[in-house]
Amino acid sequence: MKFILMMTGKMADWDEYTKWSKEDLERNVTFMRAFSKELKDSGVFVATEGLAAPGEAKIVRAGKDGEPITDGVFPESKEFLAGYWIIDVESPEQAYKIAARASTAPGPGGKPGRMPIEVRQVLSGHADLGL
Amino acid sequence: MKYILLMSGMKVGVESYLAWSQKDRDAHMAVLQRIARELTASGEFVATQGLAVPQEAKVVRGEKSAMPVTDGVFPESKEFLLGYWIVDVATPERAYAIAGRISAAPGPGGVPTNVPIEVRGFASYPEVASSSSEEITRGAKRI
Repeated sequence: MKFILMMTGKMADWDEYTKWSKEDLERNVTFMRAFSKELKDSGVFVATEGLAAPGEAKIVRAGKDGEPITDGVFPESKEFLAGYWIIDVESPEQAYKIAARASTAPGPGGKPGRMPIEVRQVLSGHADLGL
Repeated sequence: MKYILLMSGMKVGVESYLAWSQKDRDAHMAVLQRIARELTASGEFVATQGLAVPQEAKVVRGEKSAMPVTDGVFPESKEFLLGYWIVDVATPERAYAIAGRISAAPGPGGVPTNVPIEVRGFASYPEVASSSSEEITRGAKRI
């Protein structure tokens, strides 16, 4: 079963993050690298991506003439995707366990961030899109 | 330049989608299939993924013991990711144009859904950066 583990944050969280000390950032990145390696070594890794800061995020809708209408105004409460992992595991419980580990990634001062990680099953393949 | 196009919706939106007629759903999927085929043919396609309905979504936090604490209670206003496309395009405008086409895919009665599509770039990912700490820091800052 494939699951996606999503880290999200509000614009204010990014502002905080950019203020982390170099030492805190390095500790966090070291954790993330080790975490990805563990996922790869245990054979559950499918994909991971980190997204750029939401300052450049745009919302696009289709206009009447089919031209895209873009907008970059978001409510303060908006949760932006920060990054994700896709894993292929035997059970939802295994996915929760791995998500819990991601959640313990160190924050400022090396304390576990305890970030909430949203866990969702992904549809296997995309036969409905002919892919 | 790689971009991710994120389609999100609230639980009520998903419920109304599930109530669409088969004909409406087929027409909608036919357009998404055409877009996927065109992106593949133009070499801009990287990945796409659809997520299961949000009713099964959980939020996990790690406790001190690293044991997971799960919760599936969300505010009604919560936006759930429904699916995404990753495209590799020459300009941001091209990514917006693709997002616009996805947004224009037909809904019930053939009327465009006009679903908002969030377009985001990627951070230079530390995993693939060189191991010098300066680069790692730079990569991390852009996450």
